Amino acid sequence: MNGHELNLAIRNCLGVFPGYADELGDLDQALGDGDLGITVSLGAQAALEALEQLPSDAKPTEVVLACAKAFANANPSTMAALVAGALLAGSRVWGDAEKVDSEMVNAFALAAAESISQRGKSQVGDKTILDAMFPAAEALRNTEGAAKRIDAAIAAAERGVMTSKELQSRRGRASWLQDRSIGLQDPGATAYLRFLQSWKLANSPSHATVN
Amino acid sequence: MKKIINDPKDFVDEFVDGILLAHPELVKAPTPDRRVLVRADAPVAGKVGIVTGGGSGHLPLFKGYVGRGLCDGVAIGNVFSSPSSAQILEATKAVDGGAGVLYLYGNYGGDVFNFDLSTDMAELEGIRTVTVLGHDDVASQPKERAADRRGVAGIFFAFKAAGAAAERGDSLDQVAAVAEDIINHTATMGVGLSPTILPTTAKPSFQLADDEMEIGIGIHGEPGIHRGSMETADEIAEHLTGRLIDDLGVTSGDRVAVLVNGMGATPLEELYLLFRKTHQMLSSQGITIAKSYVGEYATSLEMAGASISILALTDERLALLESPAESPFFREA
Repeated sequence: MNGHELNLAIRNCLGVFPGYADELGDLDQALGDGDLGITVSLGAQAALEALEQLPSDAKPTEVVLACAKAFANANPSTMAALVAGALLAGSRVWGDAEKVDSEMVNAFALAAAESISQRGKSQVGDKTILDAMFPAAEALRNTEGAAKRIDAAIAAAERGVMTSKELQSRRGRASWLQDRSIGLQDPGATAYLRFLQSWKLANSPSHATVN
Repeated sequence: MKKIINDPKDFVDEFVDGILLAHPELVKAPTPDRRVLVRADAPVAGKVGIVTGGGSGHLPLFKGYVGRGLCDGVAIGNVFSSPSSAQILEATKAVDGGAGVLYLYGNYGGDVFNFDLSTDMAELEGIRTVTVLGHDDVASQPKERAADRRGVAGIFFAFKAAGAAAERGDSLDQVAAVAEDIINHTATMGVGLSPTILPTTAKPSFQLADDEMEIGIGIHGEPGIHRGSMETADEIAEHLTGRLIDDLGVTSGDRVAVLVNGMGATPLEELYLLFRKTHQMLSSQGITIAKSYVGEYATSLEMAGASISILALTDERLALLESPAESPFFREA
């Protein structure tokens, strides 16, 4: 995938992803401060606008940087800062490459998850977005074939979201709820799952709107 | 609840305008939104830049310490909320004189996230940054977890000393080491007598009965470690200063700097009562106050109350405190 193809794929995905904003906002209302839906819609909109303005010869790293900056500036929440930092960390492993292959996508997914882990001082099991990100990154690493890879990542993220329900929040505002957080689905992990699902749906041949 | 404001949503923009109009020879705004202030002569070629930032509502904290011999720039958030990474990056670019930029601010989650993100963005612009966090509030964590403490009024000492080090031409790593050294030898504790009132909600940030005070309260009204009946000025000073002496381990023969800081709605006279008792306590233990500051250095809008900060001194730290500095809110000739 070259920079232009990546740009189109992300734009397709961001055309679908904000459809989940209400669901994410409701989940965040129960566990956090309820701004995740807004972060997702404003962030996606800003990223779309930034991507439309990029020249078609932009490198994959430049495409991701544009998303990171747009996402961070659209709505300066903690989640937006963590996501933007994750995108920057991921793009760093791509350097100046003209094209990205599956190995590089694997490295990106892992670097992004590690960035959030380090910044947010969180690990898998803390009931955060990482409960979906790390399993999905691992599934990508262990799966061959483009179509199977996204399915494996979605399945792994989904298991992470389900597991997160039984956990007690240990980070952020949600940690103040203590054991009342048990039984609630983590909004961050759900957001990552919905992002992957949006990617699959939006970039399947029958659905893609931007080519 | 009475406040002198216009539309609450314009509160921050309008007071920043006021600062710019009042002190054009000292500070300027490099971006059209005026959420970044830098010293009037920024960037200074070859000098390490110091950028601070945080929520509004704490004047003169953050914005007030931009000037010669102090910080070079500040990113300005809404009341009690962090500036964005984009604003921090703008401040960084506006003060970078080619020697790198020190990020020096208080240990609060939102600020840390946004400054860290700006670090990544600055790296893409070819600007090296180093971060040092103020963590002087002894009531917020025990000494074993000192690095996790909140940053409050004591960060003033770090602004002053790091600013002096940058002004004399120290490298980025040296300036950062000065800031770190000061913070590691500073301890602060506060007492709150009345809540702060947020301009946007016009509601008090916490409840405290008329005859109550809260020791160890944070500058956003974070819970303290002891809530009880009002005490005399001397008793309050004993609580605060006693804990600071223990925490720093200063003892007979040592020299210190003392900052008695008003939270926004406590008269200077009352602050001097606290200073008087603190002076008596330190003197009686053979500890010398070599440098004193009494006034408003880090406030919480109109919260009544005060904090006391102590910095254990060396010759080097004292010399840095005594170096010249000038901002709209602070002057050391």
